[in-house]
Amino acid sequence: MFREQLQSVYQIHKNHSRDVHNLPFIWLGAVFLVLGLIGVLLVLFKGHEAVYGVSREVPWGLLIATYAYLVITSTGLAFIGGLGHAFGFEKFAKMNKRIVVLAFITLLAGFTQIGMELGHPFRLMYLFLLSPHFQAPIVWMGIFYSMELVILGVELYLIFRPGKTNRQLTAVFGFLALLVGVIATSNLGFVFGSINARPFYHGIYFPVFLVVSGIAAGAALLLVINNIVSGFKVREELQDSMQALGKLMGLGIGVMIFLYAWKLISSVYSEPEGMSQAALALISGPMALHFWIGEVGLALVLPLLLIVLCRGRNSAILGLSGLIYMLGLFFTRYDFVVAGQLPPMRPGFEGSGVDTVKGLVHYTPSPVEWMIFALGLGVFFFFYFLAERYLDLQT
Amino acid sequence: MSQQRYAIVLDTRKCLNCKACTVACKFENDVPVEDEAYRIWVTEMPLTGRFPYLHQEFQPSQCQHCENAPCEKVCPTRATFTTEAGAVLVDYDKCILCKACMVACPYDARFVSLEHKAVEKCTLCIHRLQEGREPACVETCPTKVRVFGDLNDPKSEVSRLLGSSNSYRLKPEKNTRPRLYYVT
Repeated sequence: MFREQLQSVYQIHKNHSRDVHNLPFIWLGAVFLVLGLIGVLLVLFKGHEAVYGVSREVPWGLLIATYAYLVITSTGLAFIGGLGHAFGFEKFAKMNKRIVVLAFITLLAGFTQIGMELGHPFRLMYLFLLSPHFQAPIVWMGIFYSMELVILGVELYLIFRPGKTNRQLTAVFGFLALLVGVIATSNLGFVFGSINARPFYHGIYFPVFLVVSGIAAGAALLLVINNIVSGFKVREELQDSMQALGKLMGLGIGVMIFLYAWKLISSVYSEPEGMSQAALALISGPMALHFWIGEVGLALVLPLLLIVLCRGRNSAILGLSGLIYMLGLFFTRYDFVVAGQLPPMRPGFEGSGVDTVKGLVHYTPSPVEWMIFALGLGVFFFFYFLAERYLDLQT
Repeated sequence: MSQQRYAIVLDTRKCLNCKACTVACKFENDVPVEDEAYRIWVTEMPLTGRFPYLHQEFQPSQCQHCENAPCEKVCPTRATFTTEAGAVLVDYDKCILCKACMVACPYDARFVSLEHKAVEKCTLCIHRLQEGREPACVETCPTKVRVFGDLNDPKSEVSRLLGSSNSYRLKPEKNTRPRLYYVT
């Protein structure tokens, strides 16, 4: 009996493995992981301050941006999963397993970044219990993202446990993942939005923008992954799901353009102190290349153009637009974290201790920060494509 | 209510930019000699006027020990706290180095200390206050730019100075309500 079951599982995997093209990505993930682990050793032996490029003036850099990029994408995936599980969107429910596995691993990949960013990650674990400061948005970020990880873990158990699926329980946890994910992401926006000292961060823009761009990121990543695992020949029964994801991503990008436009106009109109300098750093300053090529070209214009040109019907083109969007979105996350800190807290006059160029402080990620970035990507590629290879993620 | 309410009143017109305050701070508090490691600083403000009528001011500054301290609000582990008398301090053993306080401080008054492996800042030389002494920067200043005292004592020099001069606080639009006052 047991042998028959094993054989049947093996057969499923064998058949399934023919359908996927995951081995190169497992290797890619392994290379990233090795790079990342070398970075971790360098941080442990030399110390954060010695190997990271962040400074007194720009305390948050590449790792915070990558953390935001990954965890917000994860909650975007959980949102789409929740639409399928709890609200009966069958087109998304069809990708159920892939969504939950993807969301779980992306969240873990994000946690590697915050873990390596913090100077005392282990101290955090017990101080969050012994001495939490509930007025601090970071405490709530920790609470909500931890809850999200547990909820996604339970979802994983529910969808992979042997025997009959408990649809009601899956729906409840799907809904919880959606709800907690949205709260976690909007609260992450508030971690920035609560900072009165940095006018470019301050306000409700980021809580809203992060949720919208995160949902679009979830859709984009699913479009990419479904194309990769099928060798850009998505199966017929998933075509309508792909089209729905394309529409969701297109809608997300549309709302992002709307939010962007008003954020930038209000940031430069009448030159509000601190805010206009950050916005101009993006539009015409040191981050202009990132902004126009990455944020505008890759994250907004190109993917939207591709969706419109294929009328949201061609899965391969939708996958390509998803890939371009995910590349561009990385610039979006990086730019917003860094640009908000570029206007100095006092002018860079002699003796002030602040070093400015054209009125702005500067930041460039260090090689070790890039290695820790590779750690995050490594966890994502290695473990996700390993899951694709050895688990049946077709629902 | 606390018996004391600390404040520093600064008269920048008296500042010679000798930087004795910054040196005293470093020695008193073992602040290492590194580019980013400093608790107090003296900014050379731009020259104003036209030759031969020129003027330049120097603005000594440090942590403002805000009554509404944004660094304390965002600290997730209560590492940053305010004493009853109003000194904003950091408990190094509770700091997780998330650096949210550094991002939230509108005065750029904090930095990562390699020695403490935590975020560090001006403590108003709290260890000296407990011995009845003034902060090192106040004591060392040859022209008495800084005056330290208790605002709850109407006879203190800080109360007298604030009562007899116009004063301003840095970045009032941030509503941080600093305990450092600049008299004009």
